[in-house]
Amino acid sequence: MASEAVIPINSDIDVVAARQKGRELATELGFVSTDSTLLATAISELARNIIRYAKYGEILIVSVQSGDRVGITVVARDKGPGITNISLAMQDGFSTSGGLGLGLPGVKRMMDEFHLVSDANNGTKVTIKKWKR
Amino acid sequence: MEMLEDQYRAALRDSIAGMGESSLQQAYELGRRALTEGLGVLDMAAMYHKALTAGLPRDSTPEETALMLQAGASFFAESLAPFEMTHRGFRDTNIALRHLNQTLEQEIKRIAHALHDEAGQLLASVYLALNEVAANLPPAREHLLKVKGLLDLIEGQLRRLSHELRPTILDDLGLLAALEFLAEGVAARTGLLITVEGDSELALSPLLSTTLYRIVQEAFTNVTRHAKATQVNVTIQHELQTLRCSIKDNGVGFDVSSLSAQIGERGLGMIGIRERLNSLGGSLSLVSTLGQGTELVIIIPHTDSLEA
Repeated sequence: MASEAVIPINSDIDVVAARQKGRELATELGFVSTDSTLLATAISELARNIIRYAKYGEILIVSVQSGDRVGITVVARDKGPGITNISLAMQDGFSTSGGLGLGLPGVKRMMDEFHLVSDANNGTKVTIKKWKR
Repeated sequence: MEMLEDQYRAALRDSIAGMGESSLQQAYELGRRALTEGLGVLDMAAMYHKALTAGLPRDSTPEETALMLQAGASFFAESLAPFEMTHRGFRDTNIALRHLNQTLEQEIKRIAHALHDEAGQLLASVYLALNEVAANLPPAREHLLKVKGLLDLIEGQLRRLSHELRPTILDDLGLLAALEFLAEGVAARTGLLITVEGDSELALSPLLSTTLYRIVQEAFTNVTRHAKATQVNVTIQHELQTLRCSIKDNGVGFDVSSLSAQIGERGLGMIGIRERLNSLGGSLSLVSTLGQGTELVIIIPHTDSLEA
């Protein structure tokens, strides 16, 4: 039942495609609509970061299963300049959100799992997971 | 604002017309923008209502209308998602702050204990050692007396600091007595003339008295650091169902609306105080005019029983 999609992210139209994929999969797995919205929100934020900092990259959306739990993993990766200071990027108020808790810290709060790796040579990879409630 | 509203209306119309995900993405971006422009959730609700009223075609069948309303609801939810994100952030921060205050209170206890008991014991052994030296070295006796005098002073100061940090008077004799004790110490150190007035019969819960004690303590620190005052008056009154505490100084005052007066700039102390007050349903206001001193007023809901 593993369903997988890779969406290249270059422009705002691609963000829509990625959200669409995420939402479709969420509906297919029986996510409540609030959680589908949260997932779409997270995808928007990750895609936004790709376009803003790396110009282009891709988003992978895949269903996951662990025991009797099902969920969705989203991987956002780019070959951009990388985040030089990860702990700073994870602080509320860093970058454009100005202390409102948007951006990566906001994404982390909405998801069940969050993982970030980044360096100057390999770009940035954010992996998030949301389980079905 | 005007532009945002126009764009919102247009995007909602697209959504109702069946544009699907792309209009939802727009709803999200518009919500994000509204948030950074300072709009609140109620503003969003009003904007949605207005846009929906303008956007629903009048000649549609009930079935069509139902579908459009459903699309509209998704659109609305999407435009609120950024608010949800920040809301979660604030909730987390509040919990962390409350936890921090508790940790701080434990830490204070630990330091007070270390000052009072541990340092006190060390001093006691110094006294014993001095006595030995005095016995073995009679000519040094006079000098040693001076040293003992200094040690007495140190002991007294340590004890006072320890009591101010975590006043047992607060538990034993109540808030007013504890504040008088605190005021005495601050006055002796800074030369400020401090008065404490209030109803000595006040029956306050330990949480309430600790909170007020910490607030007055922080206020004294602020007055000492910034106000250049000579006099401070503290009053605590029980009015109807509230407790009113005022700390007023005759110092230089400051422009409350200025940026440096914003809470973020006034140090962790004030932020901690706000959180302590929030958890008691209380509020805080600062009244200050340049050259005419500053008054900090705390209002906390309180009925005249110990359950508060």
